[in-house]
Amino acid sequence: MTRHHDPDARTRVRSLGELPQAIEPQRDLWPGIEARLDEIEAKAPLATAGQTIRRRNSARLRWLAAAAMIASVAVGVWIGRSLLPLAGAVPGVHSPASAASDVSAATGAPTALDAAYVADPRYERQRAELLRSLQTRLASLPPASRAKVLASLETIHQAKEDLERALGKDPGNALLQELLINTYQDEMRVLTDVREASDSGKGI
Amino acid sequence: MTEAQAGDTRVDWEGALVQRARAGDTRAFERLYREHAGKVYGLCLRMTRDAQLAEDCTQDTFINAWRALAGFETRSSLSTWLHRIAVNVSLAKRRKSSPVEPAPEEGEDVAGEWTLETPVEVHEIETAIGALPDGARDALVLHALYGYSHGEAAQMLGIAEGTCKAQLHRARKLLRERLGMEVN
Repeated sequence: MTRHHDPDARTRVRSLGELPQAIEPQRDLWPGIEARLDEIEAKAPLATAGQTIRRRNSARLRWLAAAAMIASVAVGVWIGRSLLPLAGAVPGVHSPASAASDVSAATGAPTALDAAYVADPRYERQRAELLRSLQTRLASLPPASRAKVLASLETIHQAKEDLERALGKDPGNALLQELLINTYQDEMRVLTDVREASDSGKGI
Repeated sequence: MTEAQAGDTRVDWEGALVQRARAGDTRAFERLYREHAGKVYGLCLRMTRDAQLAEDCTQDTFINAWRALAGFETRSSLSTWLHRIAVNVSLAKRRKSSPVEPAPEEGEDVAGEWTLETPVEVHEIETAIGALPDGARDALVLHALYGYSHGEAAQMLGIAEGTCKAQLHRARKLLRERLGMEVN
C-alpha cells in the first residue's frame, strides 16, 4: 500500500480518533477534475442553453433565485468583478471603493482589495443610473415587492459589513475579498432586476 | 471571535460556495475541492489501500458531486455528503478489482473510544489498519477515524447495522492481535 504521511507521522497516538482524517494526495487532482467537468458541460449544451434561455426570459425567476440565495446565505451573494465607486448614498447601498478604503483605514495599509478594483466607466455609469432611479422604480412596484427589494438590499448591506469587518482582521484573505466583490455584484443584480421588473410593469 | 463563531462563519462560506457551484461556477467548486480533498482522499486511500486507485476515486467523487450538486441539501453537511459519495465510489472500484468477502454474522455491540493500551506510532497503527480485511477496515475507518455512528457507517456501506458492529468487533480483535495490546 502506497502511503505518504506527513513528516510528523512518527507521532504517537493513544486512540484511533487521533489519527489524521486528511491525507494530501501526492499530486494536484484538480486539473483532471476540471478537465472532466469541461467535458460534462460540453456534452450537455442543450441543458445549459435551456437554463440560460430560461434565465434570460424571466426577470421574475432570476429575482426569486437571487432572493432565495440571499436569504439562505447571509454572506453569499454574487456577480462579476470590476465594480466601481459611486458618489451618492442610498440606504443599504454602499460603494465598493468605500469598502476598500474602510478596510485600508482599518489596517492602515493598502489591501489586495484596492488592487482588485479596476476602473470601468461603463459599469460606473450603469450603477450610477440604477441608483439614481432606484427610489422612483421602487415606488412603481407593489408594496410586497418593494419590501422584498429593501429586505434584500439590507441583507446585502449586512453581508458587506460582516465581510468588511472580517477583512479588517484578515485583509489578505482572498476568499473574503472575492466574497465581498461578489456581494457588490449581487447588489447590482438586484438593482438590475428592479429595473427590469419596473420596466415590464409586472413587479417582482 | 469564538471558535464556535468561526465555525459558523466557515459553514456560511461553504454554503455560499455551494450556491455558486450550483450555478456553474467551477472556481467556487475548486475551493470546495481544496477544502475537502484531503479528507476525501484519506478516506479513499484507507478503503482502497492503493494510492493510484484512491486518486481515481477522489476525482470521481468530486465529479459525481458536481453532477449531483443540485440535489444537495445545503442544511446538511457537505463533508458527510462527499464522504458518502467517496464510499460508494471506492466500494465500486474495489469490487471491480477484488471479490467481495463474506460478511460476518451479526455480532455484539462495539462501543468505546478505540483507545490503545500504550501510545503507538501513526505509521504502525495505519499499517495495522491497512492489513485488516476490507469489510472490517471499512467499518473501522468510518466509525473510529471519521466518527460516524454505527448506523451512519452501516448506511454508507450498504450493510445492516448489526453487520457493521460485527465488522468492528472483528477489527478490534485483529488489531489487538497485530498490535499486541488491548484496544478498548
